[in-house]
Amino acid sequence: MGLGLLASRALRSSRIFTSPVSRNAIVRTIVSTPELQNPEASAAAQSPPEDLPIRTPVAGARVEFTNPDDAIEVFVDGYPVKIPKGMTVLQACELAGVDIPRFCYHSRLSIAGNCRMCLVEVEKSPKPVASCAMPALPGMKIKTDTPIAKKAREGVMEFLLMNHPLDCPICDQGGECDLQDQSMAFGSDRGRFTEMKRSVVDKNLGPLVKTVMTRCIQCTRCVRFATEVAGVQDLGMLGRGSGEEIGTYVEKLMTSELSGNVIDICPVGALTSKPFAFKARNWELKGTESIDVTDAVGSNIRIDSRGPEVMRILPRLNEDINEEWISDKTRFFYDGLKRQRLNDPMIRGADGRFKAVSWRDALAVVAEVIHQVKPEEIVGVAGQLSDAESMMALKDFLNKMGSNNIWCEGNGMHPNADLRSGYLLNNGISGLEKADVFLLVGTQPRVEAAMVNARIRKTVRETHAKVGYIGPPTDFNYDYQHLGTGPQTLTEIAEGRHPFYSALSNAKNPVIIVGAGIFERNDKDAIFSVVETIAKKGNIIRPDWNGLNVLLLNAAQAASLDLGLVPESEHSIESAKFVYLMGADDVSLEKVPSDAFVVYQGHHGDQSVYRANVILPAAAFTEKEGTYVNAEGCAQQTLPAVPTVGDARDDWKIIRALSEVAGVRLPYDTLGAIRNRIRTVAPNLLHMDERQPATFSALLKPESGNKTSSTPFGTAVENFYMTNSITRASKIMAQCTAMLLKK
Amino acid sequence: MSFRGVKVPANSASLEEARTRVFDFFRSACRSIPTIMEIYNLEDVVSPSQLRTSIASQIRNHSHITNPKVIDMLLFKGLEELNNVVEHAKQRHHIIGQYVVGRGGLVQDLGMKDQGASNFLKNFYDSNYF
Amino acid sequence: MASVLKGALKSIRERGLGNFLRELREEGYLSCLADGNLLQTKIHNIGATLVGVDKFGNKYYEKLGETQYGRHRWVEYALKDRYNASQVPAEWHGWLHFITDHTGDELLMLKPKRYGVEHKENLSGEGDEYIYHSKGHSLNPGQRDWTRYRAWEPTKP
Repeated sequence: MGLGLLASRALRSSRIFTSPVSRNAIVRTIVSTPELQNPEASAAAQSPPEDLPIRTPVAGARVEFTNPDDAIEVFVDGYPVKIPKGMTVLQACELAGVDIPRFCYHSRLSIAGNCRMCLVEVEKSPKPVASCAMPALPGMKIKTDTPIAKKAREGVMEFLLMNHPLDCPICDQGGECDLQDQSMAFGSDRGRFTEMKRSVVDKNLGPLVKTVMTRCIQCTRCVRFATEVAGVQDLGMLGRGSGEEIGTYVEKLMTSELSGNVIDICPVGALTSKPFAFKARNWELKGTESIDVTDAVGSNIRIDSRGPEVMRILPRLNEDINEEWISDKTRFFYDGLKRQRLNDPMIRGADGRFKAVSWRDALAVVAEVIHQVKPEEIVGVAGQLSDAESMMALKDFLNKMGSNNIWCEGNGMHPNADLRSGYLLNNGISGLEKADVFLLVGTQPRVEAAMVNARIRKTVRETHAKVGYIGPPTDFNYDYQHLGTGPQTLTEIAEGRHPFYSALSNAKNPVIIVGAGIFERNDKDAIFSVVETIAKKGNIIRPDWNGLNVLLLNAAQAASLDLGLVPESEHSIESAKFVYLMGADDVSLEKVPSDAFVVYQGHHGDQSVYRANVILPAAAFTEKEGTYVNAEGCAQQTLPAVPTVGDARDDWKIIRALSEVAGVRLPYDTLGAIRNRIRTVAPNLLHMDERQPATFSALLKPESGNKTSSTPFGTAVENFYMTNSITRASKIMAQCTAMLLKK
Repeated sequence: MSFRGVKVPANSASLEEARTRVFDFFRSACRSIPTIMEIYNLEDVVSPSQLRTSIASQIRNHSHITNPKVIDMLLFKGLEELNNVVEHAKQRHHIIGQYVVGRGGLVQDLGMKDQGASNFLKNFYDSNYF
Repeated sequence: MASVLKGALKSIRERGLGNFLRELREEGYLSCLADGNLLQTKIHNIGATLVGVDKFGNKYYEKLGETQYGRHRWVEYALKDRYNASQVPAEWHGWLHFITDHTGDELLMLKPKRYGVEHKENLSGEGDEYIYHSKGHSLNPGQRDWTRYRAWEPTKP
């Protein structure tokens, strides 16, 4: 959009200039605007326009002046624009509504200034300047559509295209390629290069990123991304001149959980998605704005689908949650949606084999069995991918059946659902940037929530915040202190005996992040009370700063605790006669008695189906509308991108239908009606895309008298790439596990 | 065998004449049933008597009509339809859909099971999208 | 005619009557009693030169000189009871129809090894299992599967 505007503007101005000159321009040179031969004269001829049409900043760019004294005024094409000191010329132009073409500049990465595409003319400067690297100075007069600037861009584009192969028809970036777009807008209509093009050997970066290095224009965005955001020093620049190339120096795979993002930031087709290679063109795809459910971060994603297939997943910009990155798991697990799907209701016969039946029969069998057992023997477990609506329906249904043993897997048997601050990331993900000391208790954010880890890394990189870590030895991509492995270290800090205590108490904005893996421990309450002691002593919970955070693991956890999915008794599953698993694959089913009747409602044949007596096929998150609450308490919605497979139904519809067959009809028939019901239980789930912070801090909780055990903290996520039923079905994730996790 | 030459005479003078014409039409339709069975391969789905019943019921649907002009119009439509069927202008699934299965659809006998069920449940059994 | 009889008597003498009769049957001399086409071909063959035999066993004859131009090349099909023109492979087609003077054996040298496909005769009328069905056809055994997902198999452990 912005580029198109600028291009049309450039065309318009060129038309004005062409008319007088074209009369004497007999020999047509490579420069499409012949008056560029004499830039000084044409620049002098241009007088500042009298009445300026209003320009709006590019892409809603805004600026906040923290200190009004710092504001300086520059002129972009004659428009005065106020910017804070320290901004670059390019940012000033963006604020003035001029989109400057660029390849190497990326707002979230450091400035390299090596592509030279953003050259603009600055008055009293002898040469065009690279606007991305030039700080704006007071009173600077920037000209973006003068003949000099145009000629500079044309020349740069010609150099860039010199060694760029002409394989757009077979390039996966085709249609969304910056070089393609900008050469249409700013490039020359012919090239003068007649020699052989350079070719570069492709690099093997692993199963996710496909490289065609001949297409590389050496913008070094990927190198900067890898070192700055992903925190791996894998990529680098080798050679000089036309021998310059991006590489790993020694042949090695890119072992970062964020490596997929280099596909997005690569302006050309040098780095493309390997699983998506030659699968579809971007203009064939239908984009659906949705939410990622593979972890508790709830990254904003766009699901690109073609017909009934999810073709790829891309990040969506959300400054508060994932900025514009997503983890590799989020980006590449989509092929799991096409494998191991449950597509028909099935009943296990007397011979132990499953038989596909109609929904009528399946629901009738379940309804009959659920009436034969005692209410207290009914147990319901929601899986880690369940949406809030279906969990509400499940809870209402089982409550109507007389049972109150419903919980969500991963929350443990004594979840603290009373105080929202007890299970949320109270600072918010973006709030972590203000912190100066981190204490990670039993959590490995790099594998549990890669986007939160990226935020911590950003903070550490920018403010040199200290990070202390208690837990099993693990891999961080920033500097950290390994304080200990178990609760003893935590007790030492609480008693002030540990050296880290002083760092914590001297910090301005200290942050403690407790991993949700602790929920499964028996001494969970004791650990939390120790952590709260530290919080009290270190003045971590203040009215303006609640630095005591819990980092959840699964997408469904926060919503389930908001809805109060708390089991009534601890050992309910050991005496259960009827177990309703709503996509719960990580619940341990060994304890379920062998005569219990297990109903599995879900979308993948994963771990629990093999114990199930009845299988009810449900929709995956790409196929249904559902509300998910992320770790920081922000309710977000998924939208259906593709139709359900086979005879599957939405989760809440299955429970609603089952309730009617069982004779306890739930009073809602639409999603809207369920949301009205949710409003009475947890109204915060209806405030979409808005973080609802906890109102009370966890300090109101009475201290528990339990003792902490000396068992060291465990790892909550063994394999980053395989955490739920969809990722376990995914071939790409299996490849990643095999290739990237081997040590 | 074509009915192309068959023409409906201008108008029936009386109800009595219209009535005899209807019977004539029914007879000619019944006579063409074996041909229809053969060209559309209907042996395994339907018997001639069922088809006869189906035609008769279509005629009985209009039994209340007493206006000879309307009867003539309906007869013409019926003749046209019969002509199309006999000329193989239709396909097998048309015949099955219109005269064998009928308007109720294939699952008409299941209606009894869902008696008392809410619209939600009936829709649920049909598809996920409602 | 006399030479034909002489040749027949000679082969009876050399190989015995039983072998001669078997050969008669295999070469289609018996079926040509009922099949005029074949009989005419057999008569035509007398004195003609055998130019080549393709891998299906079809024999290609040529007789220059007293034959009418345009009838001087012909084929005797390998199958004596069920033969048709589609049994002539591509390499011999040109020779047989006077498109080229190169025989099929010579043209076979030009056939691409990597992607050249086997000649298949037209089997229309021989039954559904023999004739070609496109990949979307329900009778194609390798019918393309258009479902975009793989269902879970309940039979696995």
